[in-house]
Formats: sequence, structure tokens, C-alpha cells
Amino acid sequence: MHRYPRWPVHVALLAVSTIMLVPFYWVLKTSLTGENIFAFPPALWPENPHPFFYVDVWYAIPFFRYLVNSVIVSVVVVAANVVLNGMAGYALTRDFPGKATTILLFLSCMMIPFQVTIIPAYLITSELGLLNSHAGMALPLSSTIVCIFIFKAAFEAIPKSLIDAARIDGVPDWMIVFRIIMPLTKPAIATNVILSFIWSWNSFLWPLVIIRDETMQTLPLGLSRFLSVVEDTTGALYAFCVMVLVPGLVIFLLAQKEFVSGLTSGATKG
Amino acid sequence: MAPRTDTAPAPKTRRRVLEGARTFASRKRTREIGLVWLFLAPSLAIFTIYRIVPLIWNGVLSFQFWSPYKPAEFAGLYHYEEMLFYDEAFWETLWNTLIFMASAPVGIALALGVALLVDTPIRGRNTYRTIVFMSYPVMTVAVGIIWQWLFNEKVGLINYVLISLGVIDQGIPFLESFTFALPAVIVASIWQVIGFYMIILLTGLQSIPPSLYEAAAIDGAGAVQRFRRITLPLIRPSLFLCFVVGIINSFTAFDLIFVMTGGGPGHATDLLVTYIYSTAFRLSKFDYAAAITVVNFLLFVALAFLANRLAGGEAGAVKPGG
Repeated sequence: MHRYPRWPVHVALLAVSTIMLVPFYWVLKTSLTGENIFAFPPALWPENPHPFFYVDVWYAIPFFRYLVNSVIVSVVVVAANVVLNGMAGYALTRDFPGKATTILLFLSCMMIPFQVTIIPAYLITSELGLLNSHAGMALPLSSTIVCIFIFKAAFEAIPKSLIDAARIDGVPDWMIVFRIIMPLTKPAIATNVILSFIWSWNSFLWPLVIIRDETMQTLPLGLSRFLSVVEDTTGALYAFCVMVLVPGLVIFLLAQKEFVSGLTSGATKG
Repeated sequence: MAPRTDTAPAPKTRRRVLEGARTFASRKRTREIGLVWLFLAPSLAIFTIYRIVPLIWNGVLSFQFWSPYKPAEFAGLYHYEEMLFYDEAFWETLWNTLIFMASAPVGIALALGVALLVDTPIRGRNTYRTIVFMSYPVMTVAVGIIWQWLFNEKVGLINYVLISLGVIDQGIPFLESFTFALPAVIVASIWQVIGFYMIILLTGLQSIPPSLYEAAAIDGAGAVQRFRRITLPLIRPSLFLCFVVGIINSFTAFDLIFVMTGGGPGHATDLLVTYIYSTAFRLSKFDYAAAITVVNFLLFVALAFLANRLAGGEAGAVKPGG
């Protein structure tokens, strides 16, 4: 490798990092100080920051209600994803008639963006009586093809002899799955938890379509509603925004490795 | 398998044992296959209900007159005719969607630059990678809110910076402007997705064996030449994968556009996906929206197929003497 001076690389990357971080900073600043839209120029640094707007959010909108709804949907989606994808991924490691067709089916389902199915999906959900419900919001997200294949790969990496030994000892199949295989596939499970959490936490279009009832709205719906209802001069909107951003960011930073590996493995398979 | 002749039973009994074993085995096999399908059933059911059936239903719906209050009636190509010949908004949104997709290469080129930078062995590269990627997993609705604030006419940071630099004298109402609204939305979208492009490209860059660069350097190839002859051809699959992500992004941009502009002014920032939403769920024209959805899906499939074909071919093969 040639030896180049390092500083130009650092300068370039610092510039890029600044562009990537400034929007976050700007919202954080506004949430702490508010903004007077008739004052030009805008203050670049927070003057007299105060947490008032963070308190205000709880009174201005049913924040707690939104939060509970988001958490319920996310928990259901994550649990369903781990169990259902784990089961399907395990099934795909076995030989059975129709396996090739099933895999082909999964792969072609991957080519159908959810957005192009919303009209009939709405009608179906309405037929199922799941409009305006947590179950209706969670159901379409309850299994993810990318994660099925991540599980399949993880299962295939487990030595066959281990499973055979357990089977010879007379361990039933379901117990093999939950006692031997699941603990050995922790990275796949972690990836699956992160991906499905982020997807359901951020999901907007689907709840927007099927939720009419205000008490059923999730955080993204509440956020977009708040934007259209409230004057955007109030810092509360941006405080709300920060409060919604933080959980997703924290979880991403904690499990960055799993998230990135899951996304890239999914992307290269698609 | 070692033959166990010494413990083998007499021929007659042996056959019986074998038959017993076979029926036992086949019963076990049937049970196993049953279990496999049982394990697959929930996922298959979800994808059938929420992917396959809707896709077919959507196709059928696009050839019908239908609304929640009246029974379906065969419409033939009526909706398609209306869409193609009488609906200017459709053409405008289609055009916007194409522009939006065509902006993907800009984002990919920027991401490639960043990926090359963070691929160098400098201190803190993991921190840089995290910072660039951090905007991707963030809730798109929040991204929309952040950016409509940055683009604010009076106190938006972007107008402030542009005025301070002397580029403009007066704040531009970006999101209310027919000229600037779509580019503004595209900027926000690139900001969000660029980290994902970078990660994909980085995976591609790291799969290139360093020996290739060393050999090329010994042969006297300059940095530019090495980039053009080694890096670019070898990361071609990653580049086209990014392009597919960019195409898909024109669907997921729904959240961003809904929040930032709501498709306006006029239809200036309406993509097909937002137009479908408002046609179906605001105007209750489900049948007509279904026809637009068919077009949107076909466009997606065609472009994804094209990208796949271009990514394939000679990708991954190292041409001798290159």
C-alpha cells in the first residue's frame, strides 16, 4: 500500500459527518429553545435551553397513548418474527417435496413491495375485521422473508451430528428447536429482533391506511398528525420528534453489528 | 456403513425386520414432512394473504368498476384508458417517479466516494461509518419533519446558509416551490439512504483481494487506472444492488413526501405511490388506483430485472491484462 497523507481523508470525512449530523443537531436545538419564525437570522447555538417542550408534549398530545400503541405493535411483531421465521427457516433446511417451489415462492414474494399491495391488503384486513386494531397493524409485518433466509443459513451452519445425537437420545423435534437450535443461532435471532423492531417501529403507510381511530395511532402517525395540526413554530413538535428518534437510534447503536449484517445479507440475497 | 454380518439375523427374519424398519421410517418421514409444512404454514399464510392475493386482486380490481358501496362490474381497459389519455396527474407523477429513480445514481456516486474514504485504514473509520449510516434506521416520518424544518423559508438552516454565502438574497420557500420542491425531497431522501448505499458498496470493496491492487501497482498502474480497471468492474454487482435499493426507495419515499409536502404544490412532488394513496384512500377510487398500482409494479419489476441483468453477465470475473 502507498503511504498517503491521512489528513485530507479526515477532512473529507469530517465534512461528510457534519452534513450527516447537522440535521439531528438542528432538531435537537429547536426542541430545546423553540424558534421564533420572525427572527432572522436563526440562532446557531441553543440560547437558554430548557426542557419545557419535552414536558409540553405530554399535555399537547396523547403521547403516552401513541407510545403504548407503538410498543404493543412492535413487541407483537418482534415476537412473531422470531418464532415464525425461526420455524420457517428450520423447515427450509429439511428435504421435503415442494421445497424448491416454496423457496421460489418466498423469493418472488420478496419482489412484491408492500406498497403495491395496500389497496387489496386494506380490503382483506377490513374483511378480517382487523381495521383499527393492533393485530391488523402487526399481521402483515409478522414474518419477513429476509429473516427466514438468515435463519436458514444459521441453521445450516449447525453441525448435523449434534441434531442427530439429540434425536437418537429421543429428544422431540420441538424441544430440539427450542433447546438446542435456538441457543446456537443467537446472532440470527438478534439480527431478526433488530430488523423487525426497526421496521415496525418506523412503519407509517400501513397504520396510516388502516387506523382511523385516534386512540389507536402509533408514534409516526401521531408525529405526522401533530405536524399538520400544530403550528410548526412550537418547539413541542421537535421535542416530540426527538423523543421518537431516540429509542430507534439507541437500539441501532447498541446492535449496530447485527443490524448491518442482517441488512447486507438480506440485500445480497434479494 | 460397516456390514454387520456377525449380528445379522437369519434371511427370513431379516426381511421382516427391514420391512418393519421401512414402514417405521416412512411413517416417520410422513410425520416429518407434516411438521415441515406445519412450520412453514404461518409464514406462507401471511405472505399469501398480504402479498400474493393482494397482487392478484389488485390486477383484477384494475379491470373492474368497484367501490365499497357497489358491486363489481367488468370495466375492461376503461381505467387504463382514462389513466393514459385523460389523466395529466398520472403522467406528472410517473415523470416525478422516474426523476426520483434517476436521482439514485447521484446518491450512489456520493456513497461510493464515502465508501472509498472509510475503506482506507485510517483511525476512527468505524465511527465515521456509524455516523454516515445513522440516518438510515431512523423513522422516515421524523426525517421528513427534520428536513421540512431545515428547508423552512424564514428560519430554515439551508436558507440561512445560502444567504450567508451570498448565493441568494432572500429565503426560498423550497417546499412550496414548483421548481425546488422535488429536488428538496430528493436531497432529504438521499441523506437518509446514503448510509445504506455506503454499507453495500463497502461490502463490495472489501471483497476485492488486495493482491490485485498490488499487482497492478507493480505493473505501474496509477490510482485512477486502478480504480477504473479493478475497483469499478469488481463492485459492479454492489453498484446495481444499490440501484435496486434506489428503485425500492421510490416506494418507501411515501413517508417522506407525505410529511414534507403531501405531494404538493399541485402534483409537483407526487410520486406514483403517493398518488395511489390519495386516489384510493382520499377519493375512494380504489379501482382506478389499482390500475395505477399495476403500472407502478410493472415499472418496478422491469427496472429491477434490468438492473439484475446488468449486474450479472461478466460481473465478478477478472479480465486478464485489465
